[in-house]
Amino acid sequence: MTVSGLAAIGAYAPRLRIDAEEFEAAWGRFDAAGIDEKAVPDADEDAVTMGIEAARRALTAANASGTDVTHLAFATTTPPMAEEDLAARLCSILNVPDDAKTQTMTGSTDSGAQALDATMDGGPFGDGVGLVIISDCPRGDPDSEVEHAAGAGSVALVVDDDGPGTVLERASHTEAYPGTRFRTGGDDRTTGLGVTQYDRDAFTTTLGSAADRLDVPTETVDAAAVQSPDGKLPYRATGALGVDAETIAAADTVSTLGDTGAASAFLGAATAFADDAERVLIAAYGSGASATLFVVTGPVPVETALDGAVSLSYAEYLRRRGEITRDEPEGGGAYVSVPSWQRTIPQRHRLVAGRCSACGALNFPPTGACNDCHDRTGEFEAVELPGTGTVEAITTIEQGGAPPEFVAQQSKSGQFDSAIVVLDGPSGEQTVSVPAQVLQSTGEVTIGTPVVLTTRRIYTQEGVIRYGFKAQVASQRR
Amino acid sequence: MRDAYLIGAGQTPFGSMPEESYRSLFDHAVSEAIDSVDHGIDTDAIDEAVVGSLGVGGRQLGLSGPAATEHAGLHGVPSVRVENACAASGYAVRQAVQAVKSGMADVALAGGVEVMTDMSSDVTKYWLGVSGETEWERLTGTTFSGVYAQMASAYLREYEASEEHLSMVAVKNHRNGAKNPKAHLGFECSLEDAVDAPVVADPLNLYHCCPTSDGAAVALVASEDVVEQYTANPVRIAGVGAASDRVGLFQRDNYTSISASEMAADAAYDRAGVEPDDLDFAEVHDCFTIAELLAYEDLGFCDRGEAPQLLEAGTTDADGAMPVNLSGGLKSKGHPIGATGAGQIVEAFKQLTGSAADRQLAAPKYGLTHNVGGSGGSAVVHILEREAAR
Repeated sequence: MTVSGLAAIGAYAPRLRIDAEEFEAAWGRFDAAGIDEKAVPDADEDAVTMGIEAARRALTAANASGTDVTHLAFATTTPPMAEEDLAARLCSILNVPDDAKTQTMTGSTDSGAQALDATMDGGPFGDGVGLVIISDCPRGDPDSEVEHAAGAGSVALVVDDDGPGTVLERASHTEAYPGTRFRTGGDDRTTGLGVTQYDRDAFTTTLGSAADRLDVPTETVDAAAVQSPDGKLPYRATGALGVDAETIAAADTVSTLGDTGAASAFLGAATAFADDAERVLIAAYGSGASATLFVVTGPVPVETALDGAVSLSYAEYLRRRGEITRDEPEGGGAYVSVPSWQRTIPQRHRLVAGRCSACGALNFPPTGACNDCHDRTGEFEAVELPGTGTVEAITTIEQGGAPPEFVAQQSKSGQFDSAIVVLDGPSGEQTVSVPAQVLQSTGEVTIGTPVVLTTRRIYTQEGVIRYGFKAQVASQRR
Repeated sequence: MRDAYLIGAGQTPFGSMPEESYRSLFDHAVSEAIDSVDHGIDTDAIDEAVVGSLGVGGRQLGLSGPAATEHAGLHGVPSVRVENACAASGYAVRQAVQAVKSGMADVALAGGVEVMTDMSSDVTKYWLGVSGETEWERLTGTTFSGVYAQMASAYLREYEASEEHLSMVAVKNHRNGAKNPKAHLGFECSLEDAVDAPVVADPLNLYHCCPTSDGAAVALVASEDVVEQYTANPVRIAGVGAASDRVGLFQRDNYTSISASEMAADAAYDRAGVEPDDLDFAEVHDCFTIAELLAYEDLGFCDRGEAPQLLEAGTTDADGAMPVNLSGGLKSKGHPIGATGAGQIVEAFKQLTGSAADRQLAAPKYGLTHNVGGSGGSAVVHILEREAAR
């Protein structure tokens, strides 16, 4: 069995949070035991954008960049598109070379572990790295246990040959246990039959059987990051895994982030390593059922953005979930064809500006005559911008003020800030201006506010999600 | 090149008129323009027609020029639709002037028409932003209120100006528009109303935004060779200037002026041989009240940053030294996109021929009209001169 190094972990959860008490107030009960609050994706967030947030942090913590990645694996139970190779977009946004091997795994909360397992098999990595992006935002019907528990979060693991972290051992087990947690084709809501003892047996039997295959004694771990569809089930696996409740609690994220699906056990591991754990058991489980276990020794450098910042009411939560909001109105928006969008992907994904061959000015987008000297040759040297800048004009678009293609976003998230941002050039004093939405309008954004660009959904047209950049107030970046 | 003269101009009321079609509106404007010609004119005398329209609603996006002019009985007259967003009919007038000056036409009709109020609010939203930069600017979720609000944010930051100044423009223009029977929003408003209105796109509130209107306007342009057949009180088109700029605000050199307006005005002043001080009044493009403040500076009525003081001093009031938007402007008179530029010409014609009724200035000689497309991607300026009676 190949032993791989773990160079770093990045972790991210949306800044929006809802407290369990909000559910209790709305429903008279809260069906997700052991969860105090949970993370909620904003209207422009999904498994891809959250995955990008984690991946950027992991690469930074590993002192690596997208260009170092030779293997990229993406795992989620909530792919924003049911069919289409989303790994291609992740590679594009992260600037991963186009000859990197990619994999997408879905359909199970064990898929994150399966992605890590497969990526390790892709080693040795030499000077390169493998990048495993696990990102999830499950949902269920509003009155279901799944929905009450459903959180959001992402993890990215940079895999290499020599660490500093090491994956000491891995083991897995599969056994047919239908009906504990599932989603039928074409549905975006996960459900289960709720056969309590059967569900618990599936969980403990599968995890326990995998644990039996480990040589490393599990009682030696500092933390056990166990799959947590709620805050109670992981503790039923203490016996099966050979760890005590305290060891599981040392890797808890479900109580503050909710059920993070495929990312669940890995977010626990990220938290444990951030707390200086030396040896961590990662115990991922997917209904059906399968379990995949890893024993990892640290130290593992971790960069996380897991704290919440904005608390939602239950009504605001329903809006963010799209339960009570409207879609794009009839008549559609201004037409930007998919091919014309595709031609601008270097700009939208990677901020590729152009330096005019005649006058040296930066142009964004780098097409047509130079915006500065009006030279017609259209010759631009490609220049990647660092993505930092300053607001130089700003407005807040109130309800009703958005064009139809942004009605759905506004219906979910409310008013938003739209700005012109002057972006720093790669070096020196040169700048170039771009229009961008600013995340999380708080009334604090004014001319002169420093921002950093990040990747979000711009909108969906003709069924195709378009990802691009938005600005985030620099001081709000976690 | 020979001179071109305005011999007639007319417009429909601007407003919401579900009983009218784009064709019937245009027809009414043609009738009023013809009726305004001193000695009368037969439609057979019209050699050329130019119709400005954005085509809001898409009702007759192709061949809307001939569709409108044939309906109005201008049978066989070469007719073309000009699209330059909100500056469509300002450019239509300019093309009529070109046709006349070049010698290709002795009489040219220039007009504009738009129907904007008969659609669902969703469809209206779609059409309102179509002249913004589509691939980048609009994809930050803005229509024009948002883009002008960004300009306002930059202006308020750069200069000694406040949101109250934006409201003062609305109060002034409503005061003027209340005297215009053809105004869409022909009522006065208090400063309190204009300050406390609901926010549309911060810092712009509802009173800082013009309405969307239905309407049509038509001007008749004749050459110096034939002008005496039609009037003894000719209005000379002393100067025309026009300019373009980048469509997206983010690509402009600055956000606190509209360079296309400045370039267009410089050219118009130069050709007319006049200075801003020579003007007796101006109709400027106040689609949002910030745009009127920018116009004062772009058109040279004051230095950069001094528009608020010019406004506060009452200089641009109806009884000031330089009345601006006596018609009520886009803010009060209304803004049927394709008809707006020609509508400004109508007001100038009325002022210069003494037919502006309650809004009439005492014997003005020079008037300026200023029509902007989008947030400044295009602009056209006309300077009109009342000549001594022939």
